[in-house]
Amino acid sequence: MRIRVDGAKCQGNARCWALAPDMFELNDEGYMEEAVIDVPDGDQEKASRAVRACPERALTLIDD
Amino acid sequence: MTATAVQDSIPAHVPPELVGSFNFYTSEQMVPTPMGDPQAATSVLHSGPPVFYAPNNTRNGEGTWVVVRAEDQRKVLQDGVTFSSNRRLFASALGEDWPLIPLEIDPPDHAKWRSLLNPLLSPKRVVAMEPIVRERAVEIIEEIRRSGNSCNAMDDFCLPYAVSVFLQFLGIGTENLRTFVDWAMDQLHGAPDKRTAAARRFIAWLDELQAERRKRPSDDFMSFVTQAEVDGRRMTEHEVRAMSVLLLVAGLDTVAAAVGFDLYYLARHPEQQTLLRTEPDRLVLAAEELLRAYPTVTPTRKATVDVELAGAPIKAGDLVACPAMTANRDPAEFADPDSIILDREDNRHVAFAYGVHRCLGSHLARREIVIGLEEWLARVGPFRIKEGTTPITHGGFVFGVKDLILAWD
Repeated sequence: MRIRVDGAKCQGNARCWALAPDMFELNDEGYMEEAVIDVPDGDQEKASRAVRACPERALTLIDD
Repeated sequence: MTATAVQDSIPAHVPPELVGSFNFYTSEQMVPTPMGDPQAATSVLHSGPPVFYAPNNTRNGEGTWVVVRAEDQRKVLQDGVTFSSNRRLFASALGEDWPLIPLEIDPPDHAKWRSLLNPLLSPKRVVAMEPIVRERAVEIIEEIRRSGNSCNAMDDFCLPYAVSVFLQFLGIGTENLRTFVDWAMDQLHGAPDKRTAAARRFIAWLDELQAERRKRPSDDFMSFVTQAEVDGRRMTEHEVRAMSVLLLVAGLDTVAAAVGFDLYYLARHPEQQTLLRTEPDRLVLAAEELLRAYPTVTPTRKATVDVELAGAPIKAGDLVACPAMTANRDPAEFADPDSIILDREDNRHVAFAYGVHRCLGSHLARREIVIGLEEWLARVGPFRIKEGTTPITHGGFVFGVKDLILAWD
């Protein structure tokens, strides 16, 4: 499982970071940059909650 | 306003069937109401058209479109080119014409201003501010406890708390706290002439602080912005003013009103109060649910081109209002939206708006709310609305609650 981050859509709500601070690395402005994040085994549930938490719909789950 | 005057204020391109009878200023529950629930009163809009026209829906009596659903609000607020934020509201109240920075600057110019400020209020920076925020909360609550078994929640706690955290952020002491709170009260609740006078006093005070920090910079917000470079040059005095005024108007009454609505809710729900007092770890999630249930603002944009939105024929120049209250009670977005469920998960509420103008202070506001409630619950015993008193709620520009007299044993 991976998460695609649409950097252009991120507005720094940081709800993903609030739910899973180890999975989402904010830049100095507090925003996510364009990225594809590998979800560690066992963290799938946390990852999908973080994706659902984004008010901007900037995160997409890729179910490999 | 008479029926004829209302008719006259509706532009010809608005289809009669899309003219609503609800507005956020003078409708039932929007006017000052004893023990009201103004956010809940907006839920009824979900049974009407997704976008409707509300005559007399600003402080100045202008008509606006009202975007009811979360999904449509997202379209508006994420598109700062079609829906401009450049309304120059604060300046126009003073008979002037300049934008608040960055709120009233549209993309692409907006980004450079926002990037400058983002690091100052990032989630990580806010973590570093927590000890001082907590210290302020404790000081104010302990002073209240020393003076008796009841208080006016807004005047004695919520507003002084929000103001003192703001003063701390600006980098100045709290010795002028009471004067500042009085100005804020005038600015929020005064008659129009009082509001204007308070705004001018705020500006004069900020100008003075700016001049002082330009001469003798220290380690605070005002020093930072007076030294900061945009487009390879220092910011002008005017730009610094337009930025610091915004932080002031955006950060005081909104946080105070949010904490006020939370205490108003908890005073009426002793069992939830007990739960949060005994299990404070629940507060982070609970504060999100209370932000969903009791948001206070309505981001409003001006259409730059003719555009259709969910069946509404919006014309360039029309105002488009996106009340957080209706998006946060959208049944397409939230299960059982009118129930307050303090451990609600997947709470993608819009209390801080969407898009490039997402509330810059949201991370600080969240922590202020959680820390304020945590310290209040831990230090004040079970509290209630004082017998014989009646809180008054209202809608409008910033929803609020006043005359909230809390008592405890």
